[in-house]
Amino acid sequence: MSQFIISVGREFGSGGRHIAEELAKRFNIPLYDRHLITEIAAKTGLSPEEIEKYNEKPKNHLLSRRVNGFSNSIEDNVAEMQFSFLREKAASGESFVVVGRCSETKLNDFKCLISLFILGDMSEKVKRVMNVYELTEDKAKALIDKKDRKRKRYHNYHCDGHWGDSRLYDLSINSSCLGIDGTIDILEQYINSRISKE
Amino acid sequence: MLTAQIFAVIIFIGMFVMIVLDKIERHYVTLGSGLLTLVVVFGICMRNGTAILDTLAIKSFFTKDFWYQVTESESKGINWATIIFIAGMMVMVEGMAKAGFFRWLCMKIAYMVKCKTVPIFITFMIMSAVLSMFIDSITVIMFLAAVTIELATLLKFNPVPMILSEVFCANLGGSATMCGDPPNIIVGTSLGFSFFDFLTNTGLCAAISLVVSVIFLYFAFRKEITGGKHEPVDMSKFPKPSEAITNKKDFFISSVIFGLAVILLVTHATTHLTVASIGLFIAAITLIAFGKHALELIKKVDYKTLLFFIGLFIVVSGLEETNILKLIANFIGDISNGNVMLMIAIILWVSAIASAFVDNIPFAATMVPIIQSLAETSGVPISTLAWSLAMGTDIGGSATPIGASANVVGTSVAQKNGYPIGWGRYCKRLAPATVIVLSISTVYLFVRYL
Repeated sequence: MSQFIISVGREFGSGGRHIAEELAKRFNIPLYDRHLITEIAAKTGLSPEEIEKYNEKPKNHLLSRRVNGFSNSIEDNVAEMQFSFLREKAASGESFVVVGRCSETKLNDFKCLISLFILGDMSEKVKRVMNVYELTEDKAKALIDKKDRKRKRYHNYHCDGHWGDSRLYDLSINSSCLGIDGTIDILEQYINSRISKE
Repeated sequence: MLTAQIFAVIIFIGMFVMIVLDKIERHYVTLGSGLLTLVVVFGICMRNGTAILDTLAIKSFFTKDFWYQVTESESKGINWATIIFIAGMMVMVEGMAKAGFFRWLCMKIAYMVKCKTVPIFITFMIMSAVLSMFIDSITVIMFLAAVTIELATLLKFNPVPMILSEVFCANLGGSATMCGDPPNIIVGTSLGFSFFDFLTNTGLCAAISLVVSVIFLYFAFRKEITGGKHEPVDMSKFPKPSEAITNKKDFFISSVIFGLAVILLVTHATTHLTVASIGLFIAAITLIAFGKHALELIKKVDYKTLLFFIGLFIVVSGLEETNILKLIANFIGDISNGNVMLMIAIILWVSAIASAFVDNIPFAATMVPIIQSLAETSGVPISTLAWSLAMGTDIGGSATPIGASANVVGTSVAQKNGYPIGWGRYCKRLAPATVIVLSISTVYLFVRYL
């Protein structure tokens, strides 16, 4: 397979972003996460902070309206810009890793797409969040719930399938079972098998 | 009857909530709600086959009045005239867009004012209002906003004030004629008003309001508009208006058809051709003229909006047949205590406030039978109430980013090009402008009709 796109959906605290970064390094391809925001900012003239403010956020239904595919919601338009950007990149033949952004659905007509979902045990996710963000256990748990609720709403608004539903992804994996590094190794093997199979 | 009334209200409220939540496409929502109205309200609760037939209004197609109308008449149930007219205009507009008409017009005007920012700002506002008198505001803003952003990039000015002003003027222009805004088409075809009736009543009010609005918006955005770099304009860098024309023959044909549509609409009270006939005729000649591209134009017609209208009319008929709308009309009559001035003010301002937050099309469709009933019981001329309703629903929509379709399209085009427009930025200037125009409308209605 000359082109391959790795889409990484993730639960907050599961280490999904770190896994995506590591996969991008091992396969020597670009990662689109924060970088996606920088590229869109450069293209549109918006500041990265402005895009970040509305990034992967569900819109407020009471304050938004959609007419013939146009929406007044900034969240919707930032999401659409990211989806089109990803589709342009995919269509250009570039290989890359993308984190979130409904990429498993928005790019699913590209045969070179390998979609992954990283989940984790709550106890392990809490430990990781406590460690990374220096939070108490209760606050870490509340943050995980809040972030995942937002991601779920964002995903389910923009896609037909449900966020985290294993039927939507090629492979769903619990990073708590083998640890982050073990998970990366397994995923690397899986991706290599997919690439050589095609 | 009470059970039927309860179900009619539940279905109506459910439909509105679903439209606001935007989880399911709105044409599915209204069609589903319409089906429920036919089955549950008319079929199960009322066991009234006649109500179903009246609502579907299929018979109306076979009446002479539907196509050629000498005396004014009112319609009930699905307003097929509105649907056929909108469909016809959609076909015509698609033809014009394909030929490059709108882009050519925008570039031509920009050239005529030598691509200077302030004259562009003023002429685009006026053009937005004038085009919206005949063409749906979504199309007008889609093209105007895109050209504005293009010019803003070349001339280095902030396009947001200009896009907001164009949106405001599109809504204002739409209020001037019967075909300018969907609520007006509904009011006109349901109550038997002509294009000319609108032009001489809401049109005059819109013209006065436009002058005031242009002045207000100029002063409101003066700093942003004139604050850019004032480098000498190099006209050679700009795309030529003629480059916008994709096919000269199509361009000529679509311009002639547009001119013909305007003539037919302005004279329809004299020719007695109904808007349904005009819509069908315009669609037919556009399709014939575009020959092998006709199928392409048909495919581009926004059938979802047409289905949305069909479902909506059925749900509103549910409220009408169960006398719910009569109860609301009586309520308005009671609180205004026969005071016409208060009645006008209530209809205008309540319509405006409601239209600022909910889709003004279902609101207008619901209000038409209410003002009909109110006119019967209070003796106030239906035309006075109709103009109040039309101005309220058309103008009120300008106050917020979700109040009218043009606002959504304008803000969306700006955002996609890197100019985010949130509620604060939108309402800061356009909410006061809306209040000013509504105040002008209130005074106009009081002075002219009392």
